[in-house]
Amino acid sequence: MKKSISLSILTLFTIMFVSSCKKDDDTTTPASTTYASGEVTLAFDNIAGSTHIDISGATNYTNGAGETFTVTKFKYYVSNVTLIKEDGSSYDVPDQVFLIDEADSNSIEAVLENIPGGKYKGVEYTIGVDSARNVSGAQQGALDPANGMFWDWNAGYIFLKLEGTSPAAGMGGDFMYHIGGYKNSNNINAQRRVHIDFDPSTLIVDGNKRETEVHILVDVLEFFKNPTNYSIATNGMIMSPGATAMTLADNYVDMFSLDHIHNDVK
Amino acid sequence: MSKNLYFCLTIVLAFAFLSSCKKSDDETAETPKPLFYVPDGFPAPSGQLQNNPVTTAGFALGRKLFYDPILSKDSTVHCGSCHQQFGAFAQVDHKVSHGINNLLGTRNSPTLINLAWHSEFFWDGGSNHIEVQPIGPITNPVEMDETLNGVIAKLNRSSFYPAMFSSAYGSDTITSQGILRALSQFMSCLISANSKYDQVRNGQAAFTATEDSGYTIFKSKCESCHKEPLLTDLTYRNNGLDAHLNDPGRARITTLASDSGKFKVPTLRNIVLSYPYMHDGRLNSLSKVIDHYRSTIIQSSTIDPLLSSGNMSISDSEKAQLIAFLNTLTDQTFITDKRFTAQ
Repeated sequence: MKKSISLSILTLFTIMFVSSCKKDDDTTTPASTTYASGEVTLAFDNIAGSTHIDISGATNYTNGAGETFTVTKFKYYVSNVTLIKEDGSSYDVPDQVFLIDEADSNSIEAVLENIPGGKYKGVEYTIGVDSARNVSGAQQGALDPANGMFWDWNAGYIFLKLEGTSPAAGMGGDFMYHIGGYKNSNNINAQRRVHIDFDPSTLIVDGNKRETEVHILVDVLEFFKNPTNYSIATNGMIMSPGATAMTLADNYVDMFSLDHIHNDVK
Repeated sequence: MSKNLYFCLTIVLAFAFLSSCKKSDDETAETPKPLFYVPDGFPAPSGQLQNNPVTTAGFALGRKLFYDPILSKDSTVHCGSCHQQFGAFAQVDHKVSHGINNLLGTRNSPTLINLAWHSEFFWDGGSNHIEVQPIGPITNPVEMDETLNGVIAKLNRSSFYPAMFSSAYGSDTITSQGILRALSQFMSCLISANSKYDQVRNGQAAFTATEDSGYTIFKSKCESCHKEPLLTDLTYRNNGLDAHLNDPGRARITTLASDSGKFKVPTLRNIVLSYPYMHDGRLNSLSKVIDHYRSTIIQSSTIDPLLSSGNMSISDSEKAQLIAFLNTLTDQTFITDKRFTAQ
């Protein structure tokens, strides 16, 4: 029953698709196997374990060290996105930097523009901002220093901010993790590369004929574990590049995992 | 056709240029230098003005912002409070900077001289671009304690800033980039290259015998760090002030223990004006600075190799000659240039 409905929908779409192709043929005559370039949206769903994250500070979570904590701020940079094609070649998305801020619902979708048509099997991106953009002076948009993600005393971008409260955080009960650092000297570069694979048949870019949304889960609990189980009691205030920031940067790579992909024909 | 047009235009412009040259020749008196220029004998600038070429309107906006206390949280302190023109844009007679509510910083305000030749800023080099450097003092809780968004909101309420932004950038939208780039245009134009020392270099003046002896001593004992013609080599060095460091200096930025106690070599240009000296303003006269180098250098694991053999040998008469030379580094044109003054 369900199958037959989806089959008929598919048929319907196919007819629409074919007819729309025909329309195109009249004007541009593309080969029927070529895909048009289009947008791909990376939608970031910030979660804590199994539920969407609450940054009001009202919900208690428990980290790998058994410490309860709440979250009041969660924001991070995603940049230098690369899409991996079905044949293993890659396409580097130029010049787009995204500041994903849980407090700003407009920011949680990163729309990648002018992506070549075709089938893709994976995506890679940097958590943070590349070194060149850290030394390029006053910038705008996501990189505007007024966004609160820029260190003035040791100039460079904060790649990820996680703030909240925890009884383990000591006096005051606040914790602040501001992770960044772009210099390679003394191992204080917090740029980390995330790689997410998916089945090549699940993401086809073809102009605006298909939805192309990759939904990515971002689990804040993973910030505190894997590979290092981090206790807030150890240090609740990390606000400069250095060894502890590197530990937490190693941890933030696997916060990111594939949830699902929308690639239906529209 | 278009080539011809171009050619004609070039000729017209060349005539205009020549005639304007003639006019200024007639006036003979000092023609003001362009806002930004590379003085004779200077190396190439850092290149940080590449995306932010100096314009008259941008410079004027930068100057307005530099001298406007609107940049501070309670509108009491402006950039010029700690960077006074008569003190070569340092804060004269203050060991460390005073911010809003009389709060004290931890370091001596550096001079703002020939900054277009620097690519790192602050005593520890923590700022990596002249455009982002002003964010430091604007947002530091013991300096101006304001936010960039706070400044933008206040400027938007002003009766004249939107028009000034429009003149500078072609849009009256006030952005952090517009603010920071204007400030860096103004600061980049604070060029000092007309001291007696410069005039001697250019063959327009001569040292006295005492100054000349001082210059010889300078070249043998100081110039390896205070490199000509900027009179700084822009590096970070530990000059033996302390055994136990209460300010890690450059190490705060690099996290390298080997950088502990190192600070940026300051320019000696206008050095007589910019007292007190050292990163924390602990020495209030050039006499005491020279005394440090000849009698109180403290050895430590990060002491500069040039000072690791101990105190320098400088006699009292050599010290007097050296101070006479340092006095030739004062640039009256620079500290009296009306273009650099609040308007």
